[in-house]
Amino acid sequence: MARRGGRRDQRLTMAAAPVLAVRDLSVALSRNGRSSRVLEAVSFAVAPHEIVALVGASGSGKSTLGLAIQGLLPRDARPEISGSICVAEAELVGAAEPALRQIRRSLVRVVPQDPLSGLDPTMTIGRQMAGKAREREAIAWLRRTGIADPERVARSYPHRLSGGQRQRVLIAMAMLARPRLLIADEPTTALDVLTQAQVLETLRGLTRAEGSALLFITHDLAVATSLADRVVVLEAGQVVEIGPVGAMLAAPQAAATRRLLAARYDLGSDRNRPLPAEGASVAWPAARRDASKVLELVGVSKTLGRRQVVHQVDLSIEAGESVAVVGESGAGKSTLLRIAAGLTKPDAGTVTRLGETRPQIVFQDPVAALTPWLSVGEQVADRLRGLGLNTAERRRRLGEAFAMVGLPESLMAALPGELSVGQCQRAVLARAIVVPPRLLLCDEPASAIDMPLAAAMLNLIGALRRRLGMALLFVTHDIAAARLIGDRIAVMQDGAVIEAGEAEALIARPATAHTRALVAAIPRFETAR
Amino acid sequence: MLAYLLRRLIGLVAVLLAMAFLIFALQGIIPADPARAIAGVAAPVEVLEAVRDKLGLSDPVPVQYGRFLGRVVQGDLGTSIRTRQPVLADIQKYLPASLELGLAALLIGTALAGLFALVHRRFPGSAVVRLTLITAGSTPIFLTALLLVYFVWFRLGWLPGAGRLSHRGFSGPTGLNLIDGLLAVRPDIALDALQHLLLPALAVALPIAVAVGRSLGASLHEVMRRPYIRTMRGKGLSEGEALWRHGLRNAASAPLAMLGLQIGLMFGNLMVVERIFAWPGLGLYMVQSFASADLPAILGVSLAFGSIYIVANIGIEMAQSLADPRIGLSRSRAGAAD
Repeated sequence: MARRGGRRDQRLTMAAAPVLAVRDLSVALSRNGRSSRVLEAVSFAVAPHEIVALVGASGSGKSTLGLAIQGLLPRDARPEISGSICVAEAELVGAAEPALRQIRRSLVRVVPQDPLSGLDPTMTIGRQMAGKAREREAIAWLRRTGIADPERVARSYPHRLSGGQRQRVLIAMAMLARPRLLIADEPTTALDVLTQAQVLETLRGLTRAEGSALLFITHDLAVATSLADRVVVLEAGQVVEIGPVGAMLAAPQAAATRRLLAARYDLGSDRNRPLPAEGASVAWPAARRDASKVLELVGVSKTLGRRQVVHQVDLSIEAGESVAVVGESGAGKSTLLRIAAGLTKPDAGTVTRLGETRPQIVFQDPVAALTPWLSVGEQVADRLRGLGLNTAERRRRLGEAFAMVGLPESLMAALPGELSVGQCQRAVLARAIVVPPRLLLCDEPASAIDMPLAAAMLNLIGALRRRLGMALLFVTHDIAAARLIGDRIAVMQDGAVIEAGEAEALIARPATAHTRALVAAIPRFETAR
Repeated sequence: MLAYLLRRLIGLVAVLLAMAFLIFALQGIIPADPARAIAGVAAPVEVLEAVRDKLGLSDPVPVQYGRFLGRVVQGDLGTSIRTRQPVLADIQKYLPASLELGLAALLIGTALAGLFALVHRRFPGSAVVRLTLITAGSTPIFLTALLLVYFVWFRLGWLPGAGRLSHRGFSGPTGLNLIDGLLAVRPDIALDALQHLLLPALAVALPIAVAVGRSLGASLHEVMRRPYIRTMRGKGLSEGEALWRHGLRNAASAPLAMLGLQIGLMFGNLMVVERIFAWPGLGLYMVQSFASADLPAILGVSLAFGSIYIVANIGIEMAQSLADPRIGLSRSRAGAAD
């Protein structure tokens, strides 16, 4: 455990030396007995006080890199590491476990991805942050992360706090050690847009004030560029581009960077055509519309426990129309969607649906929405039962559905566990449209997946609803996604629709402060495209 | 907390009433006849009827039940047909031995369960240990007990195979010989008591260890993969610290529930093991009472075991709530969770 003598004077030499120096790092992890290269000859450095964003699509190896820098690669995966990782001149590769722990304790700290499961549910915040001895210090740090009542939070158990509060707790817990390097692994993916912006600001402010370097791992180039000094782009385990933010945005060198940039959507994206994620695109065809109402909600209210989650909502959707409902978490949008689907009975108000096919729902978590022990093909074909189709006909319809969502037919026999998250989401869509409903309901289908996948999903849903003539109710916390997918947008706050209108008009001239805040929270590129 | 204890106390009384009634109802079904047992096999019918009347056995079952309840409320569990002693006195006499054996078994069982849970995790050759333990745990208790007696006492002579003490005439305030020996500063007695205790306690402990250990192991295995454990590792906690401070607490609920179930099963096992080791406790008393259809004794011991079981499970619920404060003790609040 004792530090070697040579490290004592490291603070003297630190001014020039990088906080983190990764040189020629290769990592192989084995899964189900097969070993595969996850990182290949990765080299980059982070200077003191610097904010570096590590950007890549899912599967690019960025989280593995984050774990390697903590010396926490999963032991079950029998990691084979070569190369060098130096944190404040301490070598991690090949270091003994006590030395690694010492480094984690005082030099490198992490803000994890999912704040909801990142805290011990059986222990108060104060105790798991610092133990009894340093409770006052913990409270001071909680206050610095922007928590209004740190004393109460320190006495609380995690389940009493919101996602944003928990992420602030995790930031405070990490900063408590005054680390030389803070690694933030997608710390805002699980948070809604408003909270995300605040948490990012907190991260930047605190690390700047404390002089900690920040390595920010993300799939979102806009977040990366709004926060970082330099960007490292990772693809398939290799660094494909590295450089200052401005230069990279002006002239992206690597194809992977250009793809990430293309998949990026914001309030300036062209909503008259698909996002250019998969190459150039032609304009959307006009949707088939008519004035018949596929869904009409009048004066709908719902109380859960003591809280009124939905309050006097009127909403109607015409055939072929797409309506996006936007709001923070807890605004009541998911409950509204469940009421529209007929899964939840409203306490007051009327719900009228058109057509005999029930509305179909695409939920946020595609993996959880599929039965793990049934093949994907079986689950999609389930909805074809009872239509009086023969085997050949069923087989044909199933093939069509798979083709429409862009899944290869070879995956019909696969179990959900063998599919990627993006493929699972496509399978869920295939199940929803194999018998096209008059109304498709989507509950944040693009928020738990990374940016390129989300763009592809928005394109796919936009294409399917136009092709099959479905009306769409799309629930999201991201007003940029709402603008792309919705003809109209309804903004919800505290259970009520506070504003609704044509998408472009509503965003150009928000009538309420809340909508203005939602618009302002969308990260934008700092340099012009 | 107080409201919780009060509610559980009312529950305890209700369960005891139901239990007493069940055993009473069973009396009408089983062919054994206590009057015949007292009067003798050859007694003429008139003598038998007289004994029956004297014992109150010819009254209808509800009347007998009511009479019994009335006495129990006054602390009178009746007179044992076999020993002709008040059942309460018999229970007071035999309870300490069973308590000593049961507590020792729980202690050994929990310790072994912890070991077993660690084996469940990983080390080279752990599969062999696991298989051995599962075999030991799934062997019927009478066989385990007999094998222990045969090898450890009869063949090897390492430990005594019957009774509680070699010293006659020693008795102390608690009735638990090991503790009394220590209290009286008689290390020879304490050691002797311990030697007598070890084998039967091990026999009773094995099924507890295997059941609770498997539950704890599986629970820990799952908990140690949770993201918050990764957070703690990221803070620089060692694997042991993370397991001890955060893993165990979160994994405790299921194994504690299993422990509660095992305490129930243990009473049955106590009867078998006390019989084999000639351990003069309530279990042995119960077995002998069964043989002579000694209904007052059976009822009394059942009520004693039932009370202990319920109190133990109240303790377990409190331990669960202590490990995971989200498990509230008051049930009314759980419904209105936000």
